[in-house]
Amino acid sequence: MGEGLGMNGTRIWALLLAAGLALAGCSGGNEAAPMQLEIARATKGLVGQMVQGRKSASGQAELSRAQLEAIGMPISEVSAERRDLKAYLFLAEAHRDETPGLIEVWMTGDQLATVTTRDGLLIATRGLGGDLLSSAVPQAPEGGPQSGALEQRIHYGDNRERGLALSCEVADLGPASIEILGNQHATRHLRQSCEGAGGQVINEYWRDPRDGTIWQSRQWAGPYVGYLGLRRVTK
Amino acid sequence: MTLPILSQDHPTQKPPFRAGGAALMLTLTLAAILAGPSGARAQSGAYLPPEVGSEEPSFTPLPAPSLNFYGVPGIIDMPSGETMPDGQYTTTLAHFGGQTRLTLSFQATPWMGISFRYHGIAHYNLYGFNTYYDRNFDVRFRLLQESQYLPQVTMGLQDFSGTGLFGAEYFVASKTIRTPAVWGSARDGGKLLVSGGIGWGRLGSYHNIGSFGNRPAYDGSANFGGKPSYDQWFRGPYALFGGLEWRPNDRLGFKVEYSSDAYTVETQKTSVFDKKSPFNFGVEYQWTQSSRLGLYYMYGNEIGASIQVQLNPRQPLTLLQQKAPMPISPRSDWAGPPEAWTTDWVESADYRLGLRDLVAEELKASGLVLESLELTGTTAELRYRNPRYTPQAAAVGRAARALAASLPPSVETFRLVPVSNGMALSAVILRRSDLEALEYAPEAVAGLEAVMGLADAAAAPGPEAMEGPDLYPDFSWSISQYFAPSYFDPSRPVRLDVGADLRLTYLPAPGWRISTKLRQRVWGNVKDGRPSNSVLPHVRTDQNLYAQHGSTIENLYVARQWRPGRNFYARVTAGYLESMYGGLSAELLWKPVGSWLGFGIEGNYVIQRDYDQLFDFRDYKVFTAHTSAYADLGGGYEAQLDVGRYLAGDRGATFSLDRTFANGWSVGGFFTLTNVSSADFGEGSFDKGIRFRIPLNWMLGTPSRSGMGLVIRPVQRDGGQRVDVPGRLYDQVREAHLKGLEAGWARVWE
Repeated sequence: MGEGLGMNGTRIWALLLAAGLALAGCSGGNEAAPMQLEIARATKGLVGQMVQGRKSASGQAELSRAQLEAIGMPISEVSAERRDLKAYLFLAEAHRDETPGLIEVWMTGDQLATVTTRDGLLIATRGLGGDLLSSAVPQAPEGGPQSGALEQRIHYGDNRERGLALSCEVADLGPASIEILGNQHATRHLRQSCEGAGGQVINEYWRDPRDGTIWQSRQWAGPYVGYLGLRRVTK
Repeated sequence: MTLPILSQDHPTQKPPFRAGGAALMLTLTLAAILAGPSGARAQSGAYLPPEVGSEEPSFTPLPAPSLNFYGVPGIIDMPSGETMPDGQYTTTLAHFGGQTRLTLSFQATPWMGISFRYHGIAHYNLYGFNTYYDRNFDVRFRLLQESQYLPQVTMGLQDFSGTGLFGAEYFVASKTIRTPAVWGSARDGGKLLVSGGIGWGRLGSYHNIGSFGNRPAYDGSANFGGKPSYDQWFRGPYALFGGLEWRPNDRLGFKVEYSSDAYTVETQKTSVFDKKSPFNFGVEYQWTQSSRLGLYYMYGNEIGASIQVQLNPRQPLTLLQQKAPMPISPRSDWAGPPEAWTTDWVESADYRLGLRDLVAEELKASGLVLESLELTGTTAELRYRNPRYTPQAAAVGRAARALAASLPPSVETFRLVPVSNGMALSAVILRRSDLEALEYAPEAVAGLEAVMGLADAAAAPGPEAMEGPDLYPDFSWSISQYFAPSYFDPSRPVRLDVGADLRLTYLPAPGWRISTKLRQRVWGNVKDGRPSNSVLPHVRTDQNLYAQHGSTIENLYVARQWRPGRNFYARVTAGYLESMYGGLSAELLWKPVGSWLGFGIEGNYVIQRDYDQLFDFRDYKVFTAHTSAYADLGGGYEAQLDVGRYLAGDRGATFSLDRTFANGWSVGGFFTLTNVSSADFGEGSFDKGIRFRIPLNWMLGTPSRSGMGLVIRPVQRDGGQRVDVPGRLYDQVREAHLKGLEAGWARVWE
């Protein structure tokens, strides 16, 4: 919707302001930098981005399975659809708490963002902006998604959390064979259709019927982050 | 009409902390830059809306009502019955027929909106003014919300105090009719808004249909303005007005209206423009998510234009994006069974120092500074500074993670003490096992809040506490540019000084602060402002004399802050406190951590500084003192009452009310009544103003405690003025107490 229109205006304004802030200043020590300085730094960053041009969104080079396995850590590929971003995340933490299911925290290589799952079901994000703070996901006794209430808590603009309640139905779409970086997995394709909060969400899972591993999924992380695609590359 | 100035350099009571001060112009410019959905950060991935036509649930609000030339919901020159979303903060610049109106509006509660307007009329040629400038306040009340059959109804008072030149009162109703969306996408479908109302005053001046009582004329000789003109409200002739707005999609709007404003003064007493018709026509376009442009054909003869910028504290221009924390690893996974967790390590001082260094590193990675760490076998008390996060809860979370990541497994209880200038603000008590159990719980935020403990912090760290590594003496410095505007001079609405500030701060020991701000002006015209005509001591109105000098010491002081006892906070500051005053200031505050109420006393013995703002003083000396009550009314509303003696020796009270948001936004107003008469006070009758603060984290999406603050007084006079002391206590303390922590608690896990 008219992105191009806003863009020209934005660039001109930013460049004008940057020119005005040529005397940008600097600081040192433990005190917070003055407000003027923070603005100047942010503006420099903006201008820098414009000069470099739009960074190629999926900047990460394609890695081969052999390279990823050589890292020696469990790796998942995570893509953020709205931003056209894709990255390989490593497993930073795995443990259990009182709620059933293994918690796995996946972290980007630059340690700026994490995506957390419980038995493969998305329960939290950090570092993305408008993050999924926590969620209650309906889980089947044997693991995997189930029909029922899905409640998400989202970081809302005023530093508050805002709840979002969805009511979900799971359908088994039958067996599906998927390929992840050269490896074939025999899975069952599950579709979780959710309604609530004035909209609809469709989460999809490709689950290994033998050990319950969710090899691949497309899950919704709230109104700000949108859909994330998760693919487990190495266990 | 005298030297009307304002300044963010002497905000009344409540200076936005660390808000250096910023020009309204800069605010607007930045708002315009960052307002677009295509703001450059969006490229780096901060926030992109879902695809058009997506079925996903959305928190993005539907398009807000459009604004009229008076900057309130309306058609073109006429108001409508619509109400803004709660908290909406709008700026409207509109021009037609020699009239320019700049309006700031704020939806203070879901049912009440307030506006401040600066109005210029070119070619006025009346009463000795070529261009006439006027400042006015409006208030609007929602009487009825729209339902299936009933319209929304609003009552408004326009320019309800002051000269009343633009005074009007009205009732107006609006009804929405659904239409198909055409020529573009419409999230909520197309709509036609039909409005009709009845108005008095200015809005009853064209083809009135009756009259109600007598509307006395404004008497400039006996009235200094600034007081509610309630004897005029809903009096005199009344007339009908109305109009249509058709919004076929989310971008476009077409407007037509019938105006009941005859513009009697502007077109009959003088000839500002020619009015040939009561009908106005316009087309508007939503340029970016927050800005809307309009072009109009007015009163049969004039072309008009407007820019409407709508912001909302709850809808950041850029979503806050900060580095993800490292997850907490439960001790059961790496430390063996609890029976094996020994406390033997406490005996080794070297080991404890090593732990302190580890914690300091972890804190530094999160932007926090370790002040002291005290360890026993099972507890840790961490005192830290938070220069980065607006909500203290975000710093609490990061500090707790730093301890969980560094300390031996036997340490179970964390006491986290935020410290401001060496003064302990509160103690947040968390159990390490709760952190481990709740980090990924379905209701992680509420769960941790339920088990969090809050207490008053001890005045000083214990004897065994380890001070931060190489922290004191602590020296900081910065050089930055500044913009210092001055508004509302009748001959030039905005004056501006620009230049550079050098700040030096030296902290010799916890609680002590030696600080200065040196200023070099590079360019400016504030010095050409009008001289004071005040009959009171010129405690604030000599601003143009102070502005004659370009190399100045803005402040240079020594301050000491400490905790004299449970629930008490104290400060003494001596030196050149601000650009106009130097002297001695002392303050004592009582505020229990869980209380919504606080009380304070402050005394200042100050001498007016010489105009050159170097080391000399003038002859004027005064003792001012206030007792203050602070009340957190809930929902972000905060009230403050200060009673005492002001700079001109006048006695009275200041009442202020602010609405604050957990991300650092605040909008509020204040007024001061003292024993100075209206005649002695001069234009405006008594001191009053509005103030707002826009936090950088909301604009830029990076964690920060800075913000742009601005205090706007319609007129700067000498009555009811206070000295601007750096580092008043309440704002430092409030955010780390129960209400402040609760407000931003959602960020504790981020």
